[in-house]
Amino acid sequence: MSAVRRPVMANPRPRTRPARYAIAVVIAAVLVLVLIANSLLDYALLDSIAGRTSLFGLLAVALIAVATFIAVRVLDRDPAQRRRHAVRAAVLLGFATLLWLLVSDFFLFARAAGPGVAAVCALACLPTTAFALLVVRRIDRNEKEPWRLVLVAAAWGALVATSLVIWGESFWQSIAVSTLVPGPGLDTAQAFSAGLLEELGKGTAVVLLFLVMRNEFDDVVDGIVYGAAVGLGFNFMESITYMTNLYAIFTPENSGAAAAGFQWYARQVLGLFMGHATYTAYVGAGIGIARQLPTPGKKVLAIVAGFVVAIAAHFSWDAWLTFFPIGTGAFVLIGVHLRTLLMTGPFTAGVIALLVMGLRNESAALATQLREEAATGSGAVLPQEVDILTHPWRRFLERYRALDRKGMAAYARVGRLQAAQLDLAMERWHRARQEIETPLEAEDELRREILVLRRQAAF
Amino acid sequence: MSARQSDPVTGLYRTLLAFAAIGIVLLTAGLIEFAHFEPIANSGLHARIVGVYRYDTATGQTSGANTQTFARADDFAAVVDWSGLPDKITVQALWYDGFQNIVGSVGPGHPSELRDHTTIPADVPPDLKFHLPGEYIFAIERIVDGQPVEVLARRLVEVERS
Repeated sequence: MSAVRRPVMANPRPRTRPARYAIAVVIAAVLVLVLIANSLLDYALLDSIAGRTSLFGLLAVALIAVATFIAVRVLDRDPAQRRRHAVRAAVLLGFATLLWLLVSDFFLFARAAGPGVAAVCALACLPTTAFALLVVRRIDRNEKEPWRLVLVAAAWGALVATSLVIWGESFWQSIAVSTLVPGPGLDTAQAFSAGLLEELGKGTAVVLLFLVMRNEFDDVVDGIVYGAAVGLGFNFMESITYMTNLYAIFTPENSGAAAAGFQWYARQVLGLFMGHATYTAYVGAGIGIARQLPTPGKKVLAIVAGFVVAIAAHFSWDAWLTFFPIGTGAFVLIGVHLRTLLMTGPFTAGVIALLVMGLRNESAALATQLREEAATGSGAVLPQEVDILTHPWRRFLERYRALDRKGMAAYARVGRLQAAQLDLAMERWHRARQEIETPLEAEDELRREILVLRRQAAF
Repeated sequence: MSARQSDPVTGLYRTLLAFAAIGIVLLTAGLIEFAHFEPIANSGLHARIVGVYRYDTATGQTSGANTQTFARADDFAAVVDWSGLPDKITVQALWYDGFQNIVGSVGPGHPSELRDHTTIPADVPPDLKFHLPGEYIFAIERIVDGQPVEVLARRLVEVERS
């Protein structure tokens, strides 16, 4: 069997780079400048642990930026070069992660708790975060996003967004505690700081992803997936930080492990989907909706709306958390669960509502496009395949039948064929909505690829 | 009905805008709360914090030099000079730990009523053996209608982790 080139994605990139790349470069440049200025300012003025973190964390941020750039090239470049780029990106990401963990550990909290504790905390958070990423990716039932981009999004959330937040919040807090009346007003100011800075930090990653990889950013569903992935990455790193911090604080009281364990439960079980993942999913939803709106004004409004909901949801949790009575004694456990459910649950329900609406729109549009493609007689989609392709469960049964008859390779081949057919339908959908800037030839190329895949799947 | 009006993306867009409207209400409520607890008040008055010193809980006496940083096991207290404040105002002095919990206080009362309370210790929270680490705030606040409206003096103290 001959090797087959991967089918062209929905909305393949044109040869000339569109203007949004320039916007992405400008945003990235501004980010780097802000990071440098912030870190130098923090280091010079605050002379604190966070200030030192700022300075040493810059290298990790630079590594992540380069790794992201290379990881994006992995998707677009010639297949022969993909592996090389993938390895380079993985190595850089690995270095950046290690560097950040080192910085975080030694200059923030683990200096007291020890790197071993930090490693245990990271290991404890890894399975839950991986599970959540798996779930988030699977909710895009029609066209799953590439793992590489989902993981890049999570890495940005974990490393870059947290770096931005440490600097911004340290600076904000140093001013707030020196000027405001301690108490509810100061708490509210810090809640605004968390809502604004953390959502802007995480949201910037989603915006950049959209600007650079719009081919993989089809609609509100994709936006929610990428947004939630960024949030999960952020939550992962924040969980480790809080766990190591509380372990260090409460170990002299002989309750370090219990404090870290409770923090793990609160952030990695109870708040896994209902915290940062929900907030940043709104940013992604706004960008995903903007992707399909006709006028620039509406696009901007949708993106701003997504940020506003994310900031408000985050702010309301941080600001009014203490007003929610959680009871005493045995009722504390019930109270903690109720608090999360009642304070963050409505926002999560909102994301789910947008997701369901988006999936319904997407499924209806793909069904229409698949039927129309079948009617052209091109052979890319056969009339009897339409009903299968429009239902995830039937698609799975089709793959399972291939597995049953001819093994795992046949399962994979049918899977690739189905993915390519859905890519084609997605491309037709965007073209019908005039949301695409690529020439019509790309669709024909995709059809040819599908015919090759069909021949392979038949053997 | 035109094709644009029936566009399902418009439904998503409007739903998001409705959520954003709720978000704006929440953020506005936050701003109102902030404005309520942080009123713009500047009396021009300044209280005097003499210093923060090691503190002996048994004798109630301070010792040593005015210090910025303490270990978790150290007991410490702020010493206040109330004499510079007019007696017509109501004040209180509070210690806040790194989690913004109140861990020591005097007042509220008129400065003359507080003259016997010049040493205000930061207490170790109940059920704990040591102070929590972090940045502590000692603030002398002016009170109006039972609510702090202005910080007349402030001192930040670091309790180290180890």
